[in-house]
Amino acid sequence: MSRLALPLLALVLPLTAIAAPETYTLDPFHTFANFSIDHLGFSTMYGRFDKSSGKFILDKAAKTGSLELTVETASINAADNEKGSRQRSRDDHLRSPDFFNVAEYPRMTYKSTGVKFNGDNLATVEGNLTLLGVTKPVVLQMDRWKCGPNPFNKKEMCGGNASGALKRSDFGMKFGLPVAVGDEVKLMIGFEAYKE
Amino acid sequence: MNDLLNHPAVQGGLAPFVAALIVALVLGRARLAGLAVVAAFCATVYLVSGFVFEPLSATRRIVLLALAAPVIGIVVDFAFKPTRLGTAILALAAGLATIWVFWPVLQQKDVKIVLSLGGGSALFVAWLVGFSQSFLSQHPIRAGAAGLGLGIGVGVTAVLSASALYGIYGISLAAGAGAFLLPQMLGGKKFEAGATFMLPLALTVGLLAAATLILAQLPWYSLLALAFIPLAARLPAPEKFPLWIQAVAISACTLAVAAATIALTWQSGGMLPA
Repeated sequence: MSRLALPLLALVLPLTAIAAPETYTLDPFHTFANFSIDHLGFSTMYGRFDKSSGKFILDKAAKTGSLELTVETASINAADNEKGSRQRSRDDHLRSPDFFNVAEYPRMTYKSTGVKFNGDNLATVEGNLTLLGVTKPVVLQMDRWKCGPNPFNKKEMCGGNASGALKRSDFGMKFGLPVAVGDEVKLMIGFEAYKE
Repeated sequence: MNDLLNHPAVQGGLAPFVAALIVALVLGRARLAGLAVVAAFCATVYLVSGFVFEPLSATRRIVLLALAAPVIGIVVDFAFKPTRLGTAILALAAGLATIWVFWPVLQQKDVKIVLSLGGGSALFVAWLVGFSQSFLSQHPIRAGAAGLGLGIGVGVTAVLSASALYGIYGISLAAGAGAFLLPQMLGGKKFEAGATFMLPLALTVGLLAAATLILAQLPWYSLLALAFIPLAARLPAPEKFPLWIQAVAISACTLAVAAATIALTWQSGGMLPA
């Protein structure tokens, strides 16, 4: 019996290693949470958060995983950061208590509650977004997903694009509703992450 | 109708003014006309953000205190005689309330910022409450004029400091003070102000100014300038003249200080008004 145990162990160990969960750390230089929102019913305005961090864990064999993303709300950038001769820029206003209230709530976080795979690719992340102290479920669809070695440094990485939507009023962000600034916010997250 | 109620001028001006006017006229004989300012503020909160207290952010703590202040004001007016000790206790409580409102924000900051922003804000609110209770609460015309100046001053400087929400809230208090003054000016008969009017006004407007300092971009020296508005309401006025002349004269003084504060805040943004 013991003669068989060692070869069997030798066969099983590599399989176990393949099935082990892998941890990926988000690359802050290539991970940005972008958003779009209606303005006055005339146009769509775009913006992004310049600073975010986080990691995800994937078990590709078991098709399970988890994601944690933290976004620095003060890093909001809606392409109007220079006030010039005005009293304030749009980004100043977005940082104020009217919108993101960054002095009181400097971060928003997203924590997954479950993931779904489509074949070998991550397809959907279900989770909870905490913004302005309110936690609500938000689903992220993976519009693009790829894992493999970085073509230059050869480090193992995953990257992609995720999208989702939320109603800002659900989080208590009601200023400018319903006329000036829309309620529905579309999220578009581009990300890259390196395997630890 | 919804379009009308969603307009900022209605939310911060017309609706609070009408609500306050009704309360002042209905409750004037019961010595509760001072509740006009709370009615004004509540009308605006209802239209702009609603009465939601979870999670209990700094802004929601201000709304909560604005609702509690008139209850305390009525107790002070109807159960106690005004004394220096009573005024000191109200001022101290206002200072402590300021720390409570902003503690979740302040505890994320350095000790130096806690002492300067938190301590300065607490002193400012305590000053407004203490001074107005001592020297303005027994003079309804001066109290109303102080409310008009403080509401306009805090409201407009808040808009200039990146918070339109606090701007609308501040201007709603000015609308309430205006509605408290108007029947006195037209009827020639004074209402009771007391702590019922002065405590909610001074506490709420003070906390809004402090919130604009801590959470938005109000320069500290604008807060200092706002502190002079109650002093302007104590300037000599023609006591023997009709009430409407007194109201116009004292309001002109408080609004002049408010205008100076607005100009100062505007200048901090890089440009003086032409």
